[in-house]
Amino acid sequence: MTLQECYAALGGSYDEVLGRLRSERLIQKFVLKFLDDGSFELLCRSMEEGNAEEAFRASHTIKGMCQNLSFTALGDASAELTESLRGGSLDRANAEPLFARVREEYRRTSDAIRAFRAGLEQA
Amino acid sequence: MKKEKILIVDDSEMNRSILTDMLCDGYDIVEAEDGLQAVATMQKMRAQLSLVLLDIVMPHMDGFGVLETMRANHWIDDVPVIIISAENSSTQVERAYELGAVDFIARPFDTLIVQRRVINTLLLYAKQKQLIGMVEEQIYEKEKNNDLMIDILSHIVEFRNGESGLHILHVRTLTDLLLGYILKKTDKYNITSDDISVISTASALHDIGKIAISESILNKPGRLTPEEFAEMKKHSAIGAEMLENLPGYKDEKLVRVAYEICRWHHERWDGRGYPDGLSGDEIPISAQIVALADVYDALTSVRVYKPALSHEKAVEMITGGECGSFNPLLLDCLREYSTQIRTALESSSIADAKDRKLQSITTETMKRVGGSASERTLRLLDKERVRNSFYAAITEVIQFEYTPYPPMIALSEFGAKKLGLQENIVDPAHDQGLARLLGEGGWEYLEERFRETTPESPQVRVDRVLSYNGASRWHRIVAQTLWTTDDVPRCEGALGIVMDIHDAHLKMEELSQKAARDSLTGLLNRGSAREQIELRMADDPQGHFALAEIDIDDFKKVNDQLGHMFGDRVLRELAQRMKHSVRSSDICCRAGGEEFFLFLDYNDQIESTVDRIYKNLCFEIDGRSITISMGVALSVTEGAFYDRLYRAADAALYAAKQGGKHQYRFYDESAMRDTLQGARRAHPDVMPEEDKPQK
Repeated sequence: MTLQECYAALGGSYDEVLGRLRSERLIQKFVLKFLDDGSFELLCRSMEEGNAEEAFRASHTIKGMCQNLSFTALGDASAELTESLRGGSLDRANAEPLFARVREEYRRTSDAIRAFRAGLEQA
Repeated sequence: MKKEKILIVDDSEMNRSILTDMLCDGYDIVEAEDGLQAVATMQKMRAQLSLVLLDIVMPHMDGFGVLETMRANHWIDDVPVIIISAENSSTQVERAYELGAVDFIARPFDTLIVQRRVINTLLLYAKQKQLIGMVEEQIYEKEKNNDLMIDILSHIVEFRNGESGLHILHVRTLTDLLLGYILKKTDKYNITSDDISVISTASALHDIGKIAISESILNKPGRLTPEEFAEMKKHSAIGAEMLENLPGYKDEKLVRVAYEICRWHHERWDGRGYPDGLSGDEIPISAQIVALADVYDALTSVRVYKPALSHEKAVEMITGGECGSFNPLLLDCLREYSTQIRTALESSSIADAKDRKLQSITTETMKRVGGSASERTLRLLDKERVRNSFYAAITEVIQFEYTPYPPMIALSEFGAKKLGLQENIVDPAHDQGLARLLGEGGWEYLEERFRETTPESPQVRVDRVLSYNGASRWHRIVAQTLWTTDDVPRCEGALGIVMDIHDAHLKMEELSQKAARDSLTGLLNRGSAREQIELRMADDPQGHFALAEIDIDDFKKVNDQLGHMFGDRVLRELAQRMKHSVRSSDICCRAGGEEFFLFLDYNDQIESTVDRIYKNLCFEIDGRSITISMGVALSVTEGAFYDRLYRAADAALYAAKQGGKHQYRFYDESAMRDTLQGARRAHPDVMPEEDKPQK
């Protein structure tokens, strides 16, 4: 799996990120690093505990990372969730479906990156 | 060249890492993962920071909090902040700008954009820093030169001359400009930037000699007669003489330069000026320049005898030699920088025309420089810090700084390593590492001690057991709180050191223990026993305490018959038995000779306890039977006062001896009152103060 294919699989824009970061090596480094970031776990935990403030921060961080990496699909999903959590109150009826989408996109994204990483390790 | 330092503040490691990768080629990068860490970093190395890239949404302290802290401390004046948040709602961005952020880089980050924005901001601030530096330099010189006096003096002259008040300013501005230009052209005059400031300041004094010239000549509307002109010409020599006669200031650089300017600002390059007819570079460069500036301003100003000429016309006349001859280099400068000179003079007249606005600008600037930490102070502080950390490194001292807002402790590098803590401890009250080090409530105690200080007595000294590296050792913390110089001083924090005093402390303890104990038996002596008894009773005034006074029966006889060595063995044996008869927390004392006492607390059943103890303390040694007499007093009847207990126990002991020895008695007030009186007479040292005879 190439980096481009990985981007296609996770619903991101490889051309866009290459235009900005200008180095395949750097992009690869940050993409792999994405898996180490704990924000998604923090988001899940905060949603479960009903801690809207923490959930907002975590979702905000995910959004920022996705923007930087041009992970468009997850970025859009987390942006919407971020907005619904802004202000520190948790409106479950509103937020839960958005959170479900973030979960879904996060799985897609992390699956793609793991597949990409597995390919690297074999090579 | 030294790389500039950039602080990147973002809670996402990846975002920091992306920015670091984008910038690490050209800059030194420092990272912080939340607002509190950022503030801590700035506190430590603010003077070295050139730029902060700041995220908004972060735990502990968000970006707005950082900006507010930077504003409150005036750091934002020196260190520019670029916001790098994924926030794109305009109100958030606006708020960041209002709080002093200079730029905003939206996500996603683009390598080229980030690099360009960073460079632009750095350039802008470098320029600004330079300007601030220049202004400060001038203000510093101004102060030193007592500029106010010069202003007053020169304005008196102007007033008498009927000039607008702008002349001095123009001459000064032009002098300043020309000096700058000539410096670019040649280095043969050895002019330093310091000299420029002194010469332009001194230029204001060029006409002070006119004070001695009659007003009728000074303000005569028409041409002067040859006699009047000769009189007028005297002003340059007179001015120089005035300066020369200034008592005490002759060697001041400013006065020396002003002398040159006063005396020779009417000399000409070709030697046809006055008063001395100097020519060429015999005329000091300061006077040459002021002469040119003087002529230029005379031409472009209205005078009683002529209208104002245009800048272009004046330059043309001067360079054409119509106003006497000048240094060709200076004329080149005038031609070359004509446009800049015109602009500068125009703006200086605007600034000044409105009622000495310059003065207020200067005041404003000084306020700014004085209110915030100026570059100069920052540099000094930085130097101080380097020096401190150097000393700290070579002397291996644990140093710390504490600030209450936001609450933070910064440890020296050595200190942090030694104590196994972070160099920056944010929120010390909730820091687990610090709690482990200082023990339960340790930080609160220290903080309380800081709070108790005043600007007059800012020192704090605390001895405490610190635990680190798996050991607990005595340390001394010596600190000094820092206060603002406001009318109502505010505590700004503290700095201090931590010393390991464990060995010295143990030594002291050992010594004081030795002093507190009887060397033969190892029991406490009377003084220290009394101290401890009083402490124990003060701790628990409602407690049930018993004091037993003990005397060995016929000890003198034992000593006489069997020798002192045997006597000592008896004393030691009794001491051992006393210790074994009571709990280790009870107090055993050899009060002197064969007199001992015991102090114990009890719950109930004191009679049986006393009986058991008494039996334990009568013994046989080498076939010789040793008995004691004992008197016991209880705090429940006598009160928890040492003197009273002691007197009562003494009276009871006396009764026991009277009753035939080898027995114990509890103090019984009705039976022993007389004995108590007797005991008082026998032991005046235990009488309360008010009972003692007055000397």
